[in-house]
Amino acid sequence: MAPLPFELTPAIAALPFVSFLIALFVGAFAPRLLPKGGAVPGILATGGSLLLSLWVMLTVSGGETYHEYVTWVAGAGEATFDLHLGVLVDPLSAMMLVIVSLVAFLVHIFSLGYMNDEGETGLPRYYAGLGLFTASMLSFVFADNLLMAFMFFELVGLCSWLLIGFWFRDDAPPSAAKKAFLVTRFGDYFFLVGLVGVFATFGTSMFVGGEGEGAIQSFPHIAEQVLAGEGAAEVTTYLGLDPQAWFAVLGLLILGGVVGKSAQFPLHTWLPDAMEGPTPVSALIHAATMVAAGVYLVARIYGFYALLPQVLALIAFVGGFTALFAATMGVVKREIKQVLAYSTISQYGYMMLGLGAGGYVAATFHLMTHAFFKALLFLGAGSVIIAMHHNEDMWDMGGLKDRMPVTYYTFLSGSLALAGIVPFAGFWSKDEILYEALVHGLNTPLLLAAYVMGLLAVFFTGFYTFRMVALTFHGEPRSDTARNPHDVRWNVKGPLAVLGILAAVAGVVNMLPVQKVLGVKNIDFLHQWLDSGPEALSAHHYGELLHDFAHYSAGTIGSGVTTVLLGAGLSLALALAGAGLAWKLYAVPDPEEHTDKLGGAKTVLFNNYYQDEYQVWLAEGLTLPLARAADKFDQGVIDGVVNGVSSVSLFGGSRIRRVQTGVVSNYAFLLTASFVVLLVVIGLVGGWF
Amino acid sequence: MWIEALIAVTLASAAAVFLAPNKVAGKLAFALSLLPLVGSLWMYSTYEASGNALLAGSELAFETNFDWVVAGPYSLSWHVGLDGISMPLIALTTVLTSLALLASWTPIDERQSQFYGLMLFLEASLLGVFSALDFFLWFVFWEMVLVPMYVLIGVWGGPRRKYAAIKMFVYTNIASLVMFIGFIALVFGLGDSVTSLDMPAIAQALRAGELGSLGPVGAGTLKVAAFVAMFAGFAVKVPVVPFHTWLPDAHVEAPTPVSIMLAGVLLKMGTYALLRFNFTMLPEVAQNNAPIIALFAVVSVIYGAMLALAQSDLKRIVAYSSVSSMGYVILGLVAYTLYGMGGATFQMVAHGLISGLMFMSVGVIYNTTHTRMVSDMSGLASKMPITVAVFVAGAFGYMGLPLMAGFAAELFIFLGSFGAFAGSVWFTAAAMFGIVVVAGYLLFAMQRTLFGDFEVETDYEVGPAAFHDVAPLVVLILLVILLGVDPSIFYDMIQNAVDPLVPATGGGV
Amino acid sequence: MVPIEYYLLLSAAIFSIGVFGILTRRNALLFLMSVELLLNAANINLVAFSRFHGNLTGQTFSLFTLALAAAEVAVGIGIILVLYRNFKDVDVTEAATMRW
Repeated sequence: MAPLPFELTPAIAALPFVSFLIALFVGAFAPRLLPKGGAVPGILATGGSLLLSLWVMLTVSGGETYHEYVTWVAGAGEATFDLHLGVLVDPLSAMMLVIVSLVAFLVHIFSLGYMNDEGETGLPRYYAGLGLFTASMLSFVFADNLLMAFMFFELVGLCSWLLIGFWFRDDAPPSAAKKAFLVTRFGDYFFLVGLVGVFATFGTSMFVGGEGEGAIQSFPHIAEQVLAGEGAAEVTTYLGLDPQAWFAVLGLLILGGVVGKSAQFPLHTWLPDAMEGPTPVSALIHAATMVAAGVYLVARIYGFYALLPQVLALIAFVGGFTALFAATMGVVKREIKQVLAYSTISQYGYMMLGLGAGGYVAATFHLMTHAFFKALLFLGAGSVIIAMHHNEDMWDMGGLKDRMPVTYYTFLSGSLALAGIVPFAGFWSKDEILYEALVHGLNTPLLLAAYVMGLLAVFFTGFYTFRMVALTFHGEPRSDTARNPHDVRWNVKGPLAVLGILAAVAGVVNMLPVQKVLGVKNIDFLHQWLDSGPEALSAHHYGELLHDFAHYSAGTIGSGVTTVLLGAGLSLALALAGAGLAWKLYAVPDPEEHTDKLGGAKTVLFNNYYQDEYQVWLAEGLTLPLARAADKFDQGVIDGVVNGVSSVSLFGGSRIRRVQTGVVSNYAFLLTASFVVLLVVIGLVGGWF
Repeated sequence: MWIEALIAVTLASAAAVFLAPNKVAGKLAFALSLLPLVGSLWMYSTYEASGNALLAGSELAFETNFDWVVAGPYSLSWHVGLDGISMPLIALTTVLTSLALLASWTPIDERQSQFYGLMLFLEASLLGVFSALDFFLWFVFWEMVLVPMYVLIGVWGGPRRKYAAIKMFVYTNIASLVMFIGFIALVFGLGDSVTSLDMPAIAQALRAGELGSLGPVGAGTLKVAAFVAMFAGFAVKVPVVPFHTWLPDAHVEAPTPVSIMLAGVLLKMGTYALLRFNFTMLPEVAQNNAPIIALFAVVSVIYGAMLALAQSDLKRIVAYSSVSSMGYVILGLVAYTLYGMGGATFQMVAHGLISGLMFMSVGVIYNTTHTRMVSDMSGLASKMPITVAVFVAGAFGYMGLPLMAGFAAELFIFLGSFGAFAGSVWFTAAAMFGIVVVAGYLLFAMQRTLFGDFEVETDYEVGPAAFHDVAPLVVLILLVILLGVDPSIFYDMIQNAVDPLVPATGGGV
Repeated sequence: MVPIEYYLLLSAAIFSIGVFGILTRRNALLFLMSVELLLNAANINLVAFSRFHGNLTGQTFSLFTLALAAAEVAVGIGIILVLYRNFKDVDVTEAATMRW
């Protein structure tokens, strides 16, 4: 009998699901009975989930973990395998449960201000979508195998589609929703192939193995045994590849889904468009949680990726590139949410860089701090958008600092965290990622390249962040709405305050540089946290795998302390330089569009390096004409043959019937002639002559 | 005797409805169709069987078997019975017929008694196809299906109904002939080792290698030739590209309820027959030529999806996507693995429900807007929210959203076919790409028709659909979700029935 | 006794005359008469073989044939009358409407 909170873990996801059902059915059949259009059940449910998650986390901190599963589909016979649904509570998932339910809870409250107070219609649909999303996301987090993870990975995609397209009467949101679903589906296609491949190879997709004889092993563990050449584990590989190469293929395939969901290059194009959805949705789904699903998945099966150096290097490189690439685009955007969207892409790039560089804890740390400060920034932007009567153009804002102080200070806290200024949360986590990339990169050139890109991105991050802050809150108001902004209520300010504090202080959970430089012991709480729990899922074990299989080793510049100081100093200096430059240019009463001076470069940046263009071309310029050509071929050639057969029959019939003249003499002649011919033939064959 | 009772009740209902006045025919037919529905559900609940109906050592449910016509040593038998493959299909038939009848109340406004009578007659024939185990009996039912179908399309169809009805009838009938020749050649090849057309006897004799030569044709060639003939014959019914062109025409012209039956059940006759005949009776031919058959499957999936992408008529989109989805079934069958064949059978049921749902919701939209062209309408979501919600749910079901029946079926098929035969990894991966294309065209169509500003290019008043139009939609979507959440409702019995078909050795899982 | 070949030759000759008449004549009455010749050629064969084999079956059959021929003439004449009424002629090539 597991401890009670563990037994209740499924309820963490079930509660929001119930709120989804309530919003759906009561909203459809008796909307009057639904308080606040479904917000109240949603808040109660996510609040319940949050409390349960905290309880679960508390229990995990007592050193206990939980893994329980049921058979979803039983495969008959011995040659096949079962498919499972299960719950895995370990330090990583417990932490993620708290993050997701916390942000979901706050977003539900914020929605009261953003949706209800603004008099939106269709609220039951909105809250149903939020409820379903929260339920799916939480289920994804505690999934104990890759199949279940994939199932909920897809379901959060559906919810994203539903919520981006919430304002379906306009043209842009449904189109953005479609794009988001399609692009992520394209990534999920590779994930699905990888998932099926994992089943075919290992016969299971469990994340963690059972204990005792005959228990199901986890697939990373089997892979580890196979590569180490020990144990009785046997796998089937395909395409004539050896296990190492085949595992790398599988890893890359699963990575496809990650790249799609976490909006990494080149599948990042959907995320900026997804900003068409309501802002609380952007905060919950497209910043803090769903987009994190990809990164979380890599962290979840890090025991598998840690075996595959090539894949890790690719992850790091893609991450570093995305971080830089997206940050440069964020520099020129006009809409506040667009800046945040590109910043989200960029920040997830950092996490990928961290994972690829062997910084499992660092990436997880950044996942957590980013969830807080990016949700905060989006909600702050939402507050600004309410105030601005749904005008998102930063060039119409300015001077909001004095008119909405709570929003300003919390937003500032988030911005400092995002830019990575000490001592805000983002500094610690981003610095740790860059540190990991640096020390491992000293021995691996590709990682070093990724590190350099990540480092450069720090400058741009600082720049666009403070450009955004300055344009929005400082200077003189540049429009009438900015002079007389709409008021926001407690339901907006409350969530902002909570997240603002978290963005400022969440870094204390893992102040690694302090520990290393000052020698203070045991303040790397997150490291200790992620080291507790099952041995096979611990950060310590991942470190060993990285060393043994991926041959990662840490280099230093000078001594260890100088390396730490150098890395942290460099990134802090760059962040301050970027922020300072932006401040100098834009925190003036009447800023001008300095980015116009970039000329052609600005055009390229403003058009997102024409990434959308070629992807739209792939869909509309290539696939659609191809489909039309196929249709022409089908109608013309294939159906043409079918109709041709019938035409030939008809035509042949119309010719042959001419024999039927209607003249009796001809019939008689035919009869006689045929009879004679028959006789002759029979005679010839029968040998009469 | 339960199967006979089921068919007899359905036939009697058909006759009764045929004689009833037009006004009450719809309601009477629906009420009477509940009898076979309840009957089949009762049969499901008391179902007890094991093994595959055609193979030795099986225990069939509701089996009856007696000599029907005896001539010397030869006999035709009346042999019906259910195993794990046919039971789900029987249930699918009765469920879908009742819902299709409900969906006919609005669109069918002339000669109702004849229409509903023919629908019930169709149901009886379909029940016969899925339960008959004697070739002669089976073939009678198989051909019997065509008659009501031809009339239903030809009389109540759209403007080009005659073309579509004749095309369907002639095409599938020629296919039946080809298939018949193939099968009878096998029976003759078996010589005196079988003295009846009893399918289990023939299947077991064939699997035992008792096939001799037929005239100058040796056993090996005969097998391949018969396989090709039967495959071609059934491929038309499924339909497999390139034998698919009758399907879109038939769908576009057929009235909604007939489309539901056509996509939901009739197409499954083809895959059911492929499973029963080709893949059960001549397994080694199928396995030796697995890459070729898989190629047909993959081409169906991708090419069908591409065609759907190019269409501008909602019904044509769904029709072509049926071609695409049925391709998965072929891929699963040829895998010869538990998940592959089980998933293929599960996909028959899943696709039956989902495509029925899609045609039904397109029909409901058509009833109110009187157009099916994507470009003629937009923003329907504001006017008919429940219908649109179900349409969206159905469309995501079609895309294989987890926890809906289609996902389970496709997942099983992919799990089963991955690595099952030479080159299967590539074939499976290629077929999987269908999930991206299907998302593409459905999302594109939904965006243009359901969302945006409300606008319809017709003069009709657009409002929420009637209760009896929406109710079957809701029932279907609930069934799809139920099967998706708990596939073992059918999958356990399916697995039990396909297990004997799976060779003990072989690749895949 | 006259050998059987003689009868057969006679029968073949009459049959050929009948066939010739059917193939070359356009008058319906001549047609009918040619058909009678064909029937009688067959009758000669039947009677000849009856005598040759020494049993009466052939002769009995020829009686049937005669009856049949009588019926045929009745129907034939009737058709010819209708033909004449419709076409004012008894030319068989005129009446060619009974086709597609």
